[in-house]
Amino acid sequence: MGLHNFRILLDDPIFRTALRNNLLFAISVPIQVVVPLLLAYLLHERIPGWRFFRATFFLPAVFATVVVGVVAQFVLQLDGPLNELLGTIGLDSLERNWLASATTSIPAILLVVVWANFGYSVLIYLAGMASLDPELGEAARIDGAGPWKTLLYVYVPNLRRVMELVLVVNTVTAFAYMFTYVFVITNGAPGFDTYVTEFYVYNQAFTFNNMGYASAIGLVMTALVAVIGFFQIRILTAGRE
Amino acid sequence: MTGLRARPSRWPLLLGLTVLAASALFPVYFMLSNAFRTQIDWANSKVGLPTVASLDAFRRAWTGASIDTYFRNSVVVSAATVLLSVALASMAGYSLSKLRWRFQRPTFFFLLAWMAIPPLLLMVPIYVEMVDLGLIDTYWSVVFLYTALNLPFNVYLMTAYFRSLPDELLEAARIDGAGVHQIFGRILVPLARPALATLCIFNFLWAWNEFVFALLLLQSDSVRTLTVGVLALQGRFTTDYPALMAGLLITSLPVIGVYLVFQRHLVRAIAAGAVK
Repeated sequence: MGLHNFRILLDDPIFRTALRNNLLFAISVPIQVVVPLLLAYLLHERIPGWRFFRATFFLPAVFATVVVGVVAQFVLQLDGPLNELLGTIGLDSLERNWLASATTSIPAILLVVVWANFGYSVLIYLAGMASLDPELGEAARIDGAGPWKTLLYVYVPNLRRVMELVLVVNTVTAFAYMFTYVFVITNGAPGFDTYVTEFYVYNQAFTFNNMGYASAIGLVMTALVAVIGFFQIRILTAGRE
Repeated sequence: MTGLRARPSRWPLLLGLTVLAASALFPVYFMLSNAFRTQIDWANSKVGLPTVASLDAFRRAWTGASIDTYFRNSVVVSAATVLLSVALASMAGYSLSKLRWRFQRPTFFFLLAWMAIPPLLLMVPIYVEMVDLGLIDTYWSVVFLYTALNLPFNVYLMTAYFRSLPDELLEAARIDGAGVHQIFGRILVPLARPALATLCIFNFLWAWNEFVFALLLLQSDSVRTLTVGVLALQGRFTTDYPALMAGLLITSLPVIGVYLVFQRHLVRAIAAGAVK
């Protein structure tokens, strides 16, 4: 006894689907590292309306995930606002029920997650930029660097620690905080196609009453998340000293 | 001064930012407008201007679907979590920053390491533990859990804040005869008001919005919180959509309000986590 559950896990097709979906959701990580950096830079450079943008960008992160999920589910339905918008701008051919198959629902949920969390990353970057010496940017400008070069060669190298934080936080999100989105938006459907591992843990434990097996999945995923986090930090800190 | 401020090329950027900001405001518009429309309006289109000038959908949600009970439960759970979190984190922060004791550093690092464990993957052990403790289906289950889950971050924040206060202050109080507890209560707590406010806001938003453990641990209607309870408005066969939208709005209004009023404090909490 003991290792039995882990052996089943290796051959479990639903676990594989769930893990694959977590990996697909991890595609959001590079988006979450780069896009908020650009947005934060624009706000940091005091683009007109920056106060308004800063306040509104964090709003999606203030809504409960349940609220985001229910609204997203309506937006993505066959007769939802997204398809209405596509019809209005003449892209009728793209109209579909976005949640009918995993091919469209996984990217759709991914975008919802990016949308719901980008405000956090923007604020983290803004705090990082505010803590830098303002003369750094000034010096680059006097040397004739344009705004984008200043971002790439002056801000990015100095924001490495902050970028690490954003990277790790969003990776952990992709592997361990997808439950509510999946639960509310697709409930795993169609079939097991949009399962993620936490959703599978929940179903094994509380729908099928396999507490032991659910614990095994949870343990494997906790270890996996810890290892990924560890390696990310190692890789990022490798070239530093 | 030839940055992004003065260039004509910033117009596409501004347009992009505006679209993004509009998308962030869209859920509010969606919930608000649909709470003042009819089922027939909804069937025709999910986006449209309000057609019903009454709060009837809110009434149907509030009393007809027990949103009033869920709202009260959310208030109780969030308030208790905030109080317990602030009390524990401020005392722990004091002891970790201004007192000296054995295993102080290992304790601090143990707390920080705790932050890295994703709680959702521990659903099963947490559930079993709550059953064993007899706390399942009580407010205490989530109050204790929420407090525990955010304790590392809260303690970290308070420790950093207390560390930034000069030791001479405490020294002077000690010479005047103040004890360990008096220094904490009379000097540090009043000085820490901004940090405590930050903690309150952060933990309130977190506890109010939490879903998974509320779903797992609060199973009776009498203790269920809003995030879980509001989903009951989405019926299995028929859904009263205006009432559902009203329910979602009732769930969102307190957090939106707190965010708008205390934006500064929330930004500070995030900045403290990012820069240190």
